[in-house]
Amino acid sequence: MAKAYVIVGGSLTGATAAITLREEGADGSITLIGAEREPPYERPLLSKGYLRGEVSFDKTLVRPAAFYAEHGIESLAGVRATRIDSAARFVELEDRRRVSFDVLLIATGGRNRRISIPGSELEGIYSLRTVEDADRIKAEIGAGRRVVVVGMGFIGSEVAASLRQKGLDVVAIEPAKTPLFRVLGEAVGQRIADLHRTHGVRTIFEDTVAAFAGTHRVARVITKGGLSLECDFVVAGIGIEPVVDILDGTGIKVDNGVVVDQYCQTSVPGIYAAGDVANHYHPVFERQIRVEHWHNAIKQGAAAARNMLGRAVPYDEIHWFWSDQYDANLQYAGYHSKWDELVVRGRLDSGSFLAFYINAGRIDAVVGLNRAKDVRRAIPLIKARRMLNLGQLQNESIDLRSLNAGD
Amino acid sequence: MAEELVTIIKTSEIPAGGIVAVDVRGTRVAVANVDGRYYAFDDACTHEQCSLTEMGELAGTTVTCTCHGSEFDVRTGKVLAPPATVPVKVYPTRVEGDALNVDI
Repeated sequence: MAKAYVIVGGSLTGATAAITLREEGADGSITLIGAEREPPYERPLLSKGYLRGEVSFDKTLVRPAAFYAEHGIESLAGVRATRIDSAARFVELEDRRRVSFDVLLIATGGRNRRISIPGSELEGIYSLRTVEDADRIKAEIGAGRRVVVVGMGFIGSEVAASLRQKGLDVVAIEPAKTPLFRVLGEAVGQRIADLHRTHGVRTIFEDTVAAFAGTHRVARVITKGGLSLECDFVVAGIGIEPVVDILDGTGIKVDNGVVVDQYCQTSVPGIYAAGDVANHYHPVFERQIRVEHWHNAIKQGAAAARNMLGRAVPYDEIHWFWSDQYDANLQYAGYHSKWDELVVRGRLDSGSFLAFYINAGRIDAVVGLNRAKDVRRAIPLIKARRMLNLGQLQNESIDLRSLNAGD
Repeated sequence: MAEELVTIIKTSEIPAGGIVAVDVRGTRVAVANVDGRYYAFDDACTHEQCSLTEMGELAGTTVTCTCHGSEFDVRTGKVLAPPATVPVKVYPTRVEGDALNVDI
């Protein structure tokens, strides 16, 4: 019997799931519900080429706007889902409409954390997640304009780079010792700090924002360390929180996002989750993982769709992402939260290196600066979960691919 | 304008499993050697124009642009994995002796 497939969340994960369902033979209706008005689009360019005005919005679309109707996917855009009834099997929308489902995917993603300090209600303080956010920041761009970027995670670092490239006067402030400190550690983080300083960003570490000052608009950022930074506007990139409000009362297990198994299924059968919101069991790393990247959005969106079709395929993708800053290409693969050894291939101060995060002799993750090929070659080494001769990883004369063949 | 085959490189200069870039009348063309079969395609990835010769990894008939992970079928130019959405342009090739001709 034909089933009703419903997807809550009209971004890359949700759209990829809808497309995969249709391409791989879903027999039934597919409804894609999205709070944003635009057709599904990809976010990576928003902090880079789109923000800098180098590429148009069309370039970010997952598929041309007409694709969905042409492929029998009903797209409900610009309407927020407010409630899920997991027993009666329907999704309620903000306009009170109810959409019944047999199989449901939750791909609600995340929302930006807001700074809540004195002055945070002033105008001219932005964050970046949606194309509307990007447009607001874009409207502030002008040579010589002064911006304070709060937070040097991936979004903050990329925004700082893009705005610097547009000729703005950029100050970036980060509570940790370096950019990306929590993920990459101090040694690698220092290199990213160097990259920004070389390009003329003033970086402030181990200090945080205490208040924003100004009359209607922000004019100064006051730090806990006592600095007063004059600015024309502020962009805060301090992370996201998974959007799980609509799960209230469903009985679906929530813990750092929606908890799903390796088949992307939640604690309620027939209800799945994928993308930024999904805290998934990863069979390679044998633990729950939630990641907030483009690659996972696509791969997990597709994997969830296949499982919604009853295929029972475990999602075991090695997570991977890139971050382009200035002319540097940073890539990361794997998953780690701590490490007992950092093994470097190449030299950290050379502008091109690979750093392996090792736990108990196995590679959990790798980061590369301008080392895209090596990052890709390291992925099978991560997936294999084997003990490795760490000296071989450092030896530039050994092709990483040759380490896969043997044991 | 009639298209014609142009000898662009000797086959011996393209190692098995390798990709070599050649300039053909101002177009930078990548030539891949897949087990003795030669495939020619635009060197620039259609996503963000990374050089497929420099950044591409060839495995069988699939070239992966390691800049951002796009994959193409070198035989047809078809996109096999995003972020690229536009196929890479491919050119017919023909081997005569040890000369590789490309139709451009």
